[in-house]
Amino acid sequence: MLRFTVERLIGMVVTMALVSLMVFIIMEIPPGDYADRYAFRKYSGTGISVTAADVQAIRVDLGLDRPMLIRYFDWIGGIVLRGDFGQAFAFETSVNKVIGDKVWLTSGILFATLILTYLISIPIGIYAAVRRGSAVDYGLTVFSYLGLALPNFLLALVMLYFANRWFGSDIGGLFSAPYRDAPWSLPRVWDMLKHLWLPAVVLAWSAVAYQIQTVRATMSDELNKLSVTAARARGVPEGRLLLKYPARLAINPIVSTIGFDVNRIFSELPIVAVVLGLTELGQLLLRAYLDLDMNVAGAILLILTFAIVFMNFLSDILLAWLDPRIKLGA
Amino acid sequence: MSRLLSVENLTISFRTDEGTITPVQDVTFAVDKGRTLGLVGESGSGKSVSTKALMRLLPRTASLGADTKMHYTAKDGQVMRIETLSDRSREIRALRGGEMGMIFQEPMASFSPVYTIGNQIIEAIRLHRPMSKREARAFAIDMLDKVGISNAGARIDQYAHELSGGMRQRAMIAVALSAGPALLIADEPTTALDVTIQAQVLDLMRDLQRELGMGMIFITHDLGVIAQVADDVAVMYLGSIVERGPARDVIRAPKHPYTQGLLAALPSLDTLSKRLTPIPGEIPSPNARPSGCPFHTRCAQKIAGLCDRKIPREVVPEPGRAVRCWLYDENGRAVA
Repeated sequence: MLRFTVERLIGMVVTMALVSLMVFIIMEIPPGDYADRYAFRKYSGTGISVTAADVQAIRVDLGLDRPMLIRYFDWIGGIVLRGDFGQAFAFETSVNKVIGDKVWLTSGILFATLILTYLISIPIGIYAAVRRGSAVDYGLTVFSYLGLALPNFLLALVMLYFANRWFGSDIGGLFSAPYRDAPWSLPRVWDMLKHLWLPAVVLAWSAVAYQIQTVRATMSDELNKLSVTAARARGVPEGRLLLKYPARLAINPIVSTIGFDVNRIFSELPIVAVVLGLTELGQLLLRAYLDLDMNVAGAILLILTFAIVFMNFLSDILLAWLDPRIKLGA
Repeated sequence: MSRLLSVENLTISFRTDEGTITPVQDVTFAVDKGRTLGLVGESGSGKSVSTKALMRLLPRTASLGADTKMHYTAKDGQVMRIETLSDRSREIRALRGGEMGMIFQEPMASFSPVYTIGNQIIEAIRLHRPMSKREARAFAIDMLDKVGISNAGARIDQYAHELSGGMRQRAMIAVALSAGPALLIADEPTTALDVTIQAQVLDLMRDLQRELGMGMIFITHDLGVIAQVADDVAVMYLGSIVERGPARDVIRAPKHPYTQGLLAALPSLDTLSKRLTPIPGEIPSPNARPSGCPFHTRCAQKIAGLCDRKIPREVVPEPGRAVRCWLYDENGRAVA
């Protein structure tokens, strides 16, 4: 297991390096560079005419005249060594300040959604497979179609209405008014959790519907395996039997797609965020693209891809633990 | 010799999309302590389903007939009425493994691929014997040793896919026997093995049965294997037992045309030059059960107008033998 983990760890680091290079290239693709923009922002409307020499001076000043590879190592070095993502020129401050809290809020929503999805879909999927063909099973199938067919933003609107009607809460944003700009404290975290469930439920909805069907299908297969009958024939109590034998293998497809789920949730997040009034990274990414603020866009892309690569690493390790055949290479 | 298990009028039906099918009808047999009953028949004759019913391992869609009686005398002398037990009761869990052990045709598929062999043996031991983890592990190693697995102390931590086919089946036997059952049900345990390994596993099972004084139900489609292991034999065709009796007598002088056909289809070294005689036709599907005697569609000796109309009774042509065939039921024929 140790050797397997180390191998995957090395694989993850290599992937992250390649991904960072790709993100940097994406940042380079739009025409013009930071020097052009800086000059435009600083001098437009002031009546001062800017010459090519002035722009070049800014370029040299900022070190943008250096070869691309050097600038890449400068950029990634700053991130890895100092956690510094560079300047966000549209905001005239550092990228770290712009992204700041949003990283934590976004990852909070992501994890809450993931955990909620798995907590609901795995037990229900197992139950549906065990009671295959029962009324409950058919009911869940109908719910699944509903879950897959219903658009997120519509669900968000409906949930917002009911959350407000029933709980009277000022749903919208992740904090209630007194905590919005307050420094982090325990009551603020509690306040966030009280707001977090709504976006988590909205984002988890379709994933739950989909994963229930996944678990149900694999669990149904596993239940018919001879090894399960053999275990039953040696007197293993039914509950323990289900968890120990078929369920352990039935959650494989879920575990192996954790990375995809992170990506999917992140892509769905901006629309839901608009409806629920959240401030998160997805929206910021969209705006950064429109402003051609490539340092911000690059930072967000890098964080997202690192998160996906890391979750894939986690799912590899989990899979190897669930099914020893994987690490034994059989 | 005391009775271990007696099964009377076992009838099993399944609900399917095409309606109810009844793959086992009115089956009666018994097993005594320390004796082996061989259940013989082609695939689809209901052999496996019958033994699964004994351990209540049938799927939810199955139901037992109203007259079904399965009485089992437990190790403590109490008689368990298996047909009345609930699938999830404590009694049935004690019976599964602790009273009856089961071995299957596919040793690879009988083990979970994600747990070591030791994990699954120790599980069986600790469910039925009051042992600590450490004691159970030592016992499991002894058991693996007993079934002829070399270097058992290392093998116990291996997975099923790391063993050879023969070793896997030995390990499965160790799992079944480690809980100390009084009745061993072996469902074609040697069918998936190489011929040389088959003989070794058969020998092993016979030796262990003698040593532990277990009763055994041995399911096979191979009458040659029956001759080696079984004391008594019951021949099944399409969900009914068509002939019963001491294994040696039945093989030497089969009564039912189906048993005769099975024996004629058996390759033998003495008759290498002769061609084998297969039974003509195929076993009908359980949802298209022929009227009358189920075998009449393939029988060379059928009595037209009788065998295809009326189900034959079980008659006793000579002491100790029983056969379900109109050829041996002169009184019945006269009435019909």
